[in-house]
Amino acid sequence: MSLHYTFPPAAGYPLNRCLYRLKSDDAFRERYLADPEATLEEAGLDPERIAALRALDRDRLIALGAHAYLVFMAALRLKMATASQTFERF
Amino acid sequence: MSIVAVAALPHTPQLLVRPETEDRDLVLRVHTAYGEIKQNLAAARPDVICIIGGDHVEGFFLTSVPALAVYVGATVSGKFDRYRYTFEVHEPLARALLEQGIEGGFDLTYSQDLALDYAFYVPLHFAMPSRSVPIVPLYVNVYLPPQPTPARCYAWGQALRAMLDARPERVALLASGGLSHFPGSDRYASPDYDWDRQMLDRLVAGRGRETATLTGEELDKAGNVEFRTWITLLGAVGDAKARVVCYEPSWHHGNAVVTWPVA
Repeated sequence: MSLHYTFPPAAGYPLNRCLYRLKSDDAFRERYLADPEATLEEAGLDPERIAALRALDRDRLIALGAHAYLVFMAALRLKMATASQTFERF
Repeated sequence: MSIVAVAALPHTPQLLVRPETEDRDLVLRVHTAYGEIKQNLAAARPDVICIIGGDHVEGFFLTSVPALAVYVGATVSGKFDRYRYTFEVHEPLARALLEQGIEGGFDLTYSQDLALDYAFYVPLHFAMPSRSVPIVPLYVNVYLPPQPTPARCYAWGQALRAMLDARPERVALLASGGLSHFPGSDRYASPDYDWDRQMLDRLVAGRGRETATLTGEELDKAGNVEFRTWITLLGAVGDAKARVVCYEPSWHHGNAVVTWPVA
């Protein structure tokens, strides 16, 4: 069994930087939600990584160098940002 | 004076934002356990809360990844959605731990400007006494390999204890993290709760020192990379016998609240 949290390869840096900003940078997340393709192109991602990120395809993203935790929290923050009502349920 | 209260706490953000994915009663039981820690802290009247946490790639990104770091700014702030936090930092103690830590052979990183991670503010949201206490955020790298070894974390905890024992402040020492969970992994819905229970049994039996011999690989495979913050705390309390205030395994997270007696 391989490890769950592995060293992020240098080739994955632009992808991890996008995931980090989707997680922690409200302005970047809003821009992404308004125009995902252009935002990711501007951030230097190649078409393969853009497709994987737009689909939030975890296995593919990790294979392309993404850090597992960043995939998780970027996806959660996108879900929270697009929830139709407040996220709190109780 | 020295250490007046010791506890380890979880910080999963679902405890804060309470989405529909969570079991309401379980979350409220963890809140009750946090409440007990809040009462303990209020009764212990600490001058400062030293909180050992693992950054979730929030304050530190791949631009620089310190193994061990001390925050020495005047204040520190963090946010999660609509939740916003600012804490006063106990600068004299933070600086003393940094300077004496370096003198003691720990090549610490420091920062005066970091976005505070939820590993720090979620436990403080629930456990900070009503009369707010300044904090010292102590960082242990848990998510970005290579992380510090358990032996190194334990040694840093021992050094913290020696430094704190020589200080005039009343110090509460908290560790934030764990237990088993696998955020972002295909094992997210199947944490290793057997590992957690066996570990809690060891800690209750006063065998905390054994954690220094764990390996990074074992921690990763058990969903316990964050246990490094507990190991650091254990370096400070040694073989004191733990008391489990709660252990609440959810569908994705082993929520453990644990205290140790102050020796």
